[in-house]
Amino acid sequence: MKKIFVIVIVLTGFVFIALMNSCKVSQKVSMKTGAQLWAENCQRCHNTPSPSSFSPQQWETVGLHMQTRALLTDEERNKIVEFLKQ
Amino acid sequence: MIQGNKLLKILLPIGLLLMQSFIATAQQTVVDSSVLDRLNELEKKVASTKPGEDHVMIVGLATMGFATYKTTNTLNGTSTVTKGNSFPDADHFELSPMFLWRHGNKFLVEFEPSFSNNGLSVNWANVSWFAAPGLIIRAGYFVLPLGTYAKREAAGWINKLATDPMGVADMTPTDYGVEVSGGQPLGNMKFNYDFALTNGNQLQADGTITSGNIVDNNNNKTFTGRLGLLPFSNSSLEVGVSGMFGKVGDQGSEQLNTMAKVYAFDLNFVKLYKPILVNIKAQYNIQDIDKVYYTNPSDSSLYTFNNHTTAYFVQGSIRPTGAEGFIKNIELAGRYTSFNTPTNSSFGSDQHTITVGLNYWFSWRTVFKVTYESYKGNSTASKLLGFYSGTTTTNTLFIHFAIQL
Ligand code: HEC
Repeated sequence: MKKIFVIVIVLTGFVFIALMNSCKVSQKVSMKTGAQLWAENCQRCHNTPSPSSFSPQQWETVGLHMQTRALLTDEERNKIVEFLKQ
Repeated sequence: MIQGNKLLKILLPIGLLLMQSFIATAQQTVVDSSVLDRLNELEKKVASTKPGEDHVMIVGLATMGFATYKTTNTLNGTSTVTKGNSFPDADHFELSPMFLWRHGNKFLVEFEPSFSNNGLSVNWANVSWFAAPGLIIRAGYFVLPLGTYAKREAAGWINKLATDPMGVADMTPTDYGVEVSGGQPLGNMKFNYDFALTNGNQLQADGTITSGNIVDNNNNKTFTGRLGLLPFSNSSLEVGVSGMFGKVGDQGSEQLNTMAKVYAFDLNFVKLYKPILVNIKAQYNIQDIDKVYYTNPSDSSLYTFNNHTTAYFVQGSIRPTGAEGFIKNIELAGRYTSFNTPTNSSFGSDQHTITVGLNYWFSWRTVFKVTYESYKGNSTASKLLGFYSGTTTTNTLFIHFAIQL
């Protein structure tokens, strides 16, 4: 039980910091390019796929599919898919 | 006559000019109509290949391999050694095509049947509706958001080692129900949520629980939820906390009100320290089922135990993705896993594995793995009831190939 307690405290700390930060508008994502978001996000779970792997139509489908796995924000998904389609 | 000559002199060039322009116009029309014909043809072609709003795609994965092992079991001072090897060993042969149907940008249907050494089964079958920014509503049969291993890290071409961390993935059910999830920016961070309501687990005669039952055994639904936070704007770190709560007993039975509570804490860190990509993954699961009485199958007597299970793993891997040539395709991985099942039950044991692996990546989605796993298990099952099974050590070498389809 002690372990859970410690972990919960640590996580609550994270959430608190997050809420403190949320007053600022997230400029970071809106300033980032699709290429940068692709490089940062896709490697979190597997190797980063190359844009040449799929057609634009297929990237649209994969984009939605990965949004359900990675819970990307809509802005991230749109930017990454636009980049992958080029 | 002179006047006529003059007239001729004037009319002739005009006539010639007119003729010229007639010919030119005629030629022009010829050119135009051929261009138009070609344009029409192209238009038809484009129309026939018009992508439309729908898209169907078949992806998925295939994994295959070979395992050779040696097990030593020691019970009451006597040791027994078993050796074996097999091509499609448990977990290591699977061919699962995944069908994806997309309707515009609002609906995605996923269906993944699976052929494995356990036979034919379905990994998931569900419909996702992208209802609003940051809100995905899903219904059907899906992996529950308890921890992240089962949902995000288990696929053969994603997992860095040939085996799953024991206990961890098994504690995350796949079940029938509805789910809402999504991701949102939070200042310079990001957070995500994933909540599900499903039929829930069912309590078995030995005190274990099973999942994925199309008919619910009681009228109580199980709630599972996870909250994830990516505290850095470069998305390198994600931490998550999740819980699953539901009654697991059969309707009308004495055990109807038995609650199962499962908690999971997960961490994922991936960052490039040029030229090396560092990858750390971990998950800690705790499962508590209310204390109830079970029947000993051998003499129908009743017994009970503290139904508490923990499972966790910590995994690290490195790959010099930023290097040049052959070396950038090589990856080293190591993992420690611990799985403790309830003491004094019919199956309890304290188990640990150390797993190390060397991988070669042919492409971002194709990998050849050599994994070595060393397992130690001490039975903590009830001696009184005759379930105690001694200590077991197993060393296994896996050769494993995985490809994303
Ligand atoms: C949270 C983990 C996670 C992240 C982040 C992630 N993926 Fe995936 N990806 C998966 C999993 C898991 C699969 C395996 C299929 C499954 O589980 O349905 C997969 C499969 C894929 C596939 C194979 C086709 C398919 O749709 O199954 C592609 C392509 C892909 N991912 C691209 C991407 C791209 C591009 C990104 C970056 C935006 C990304 N992924 C980020 C988890 C992730």
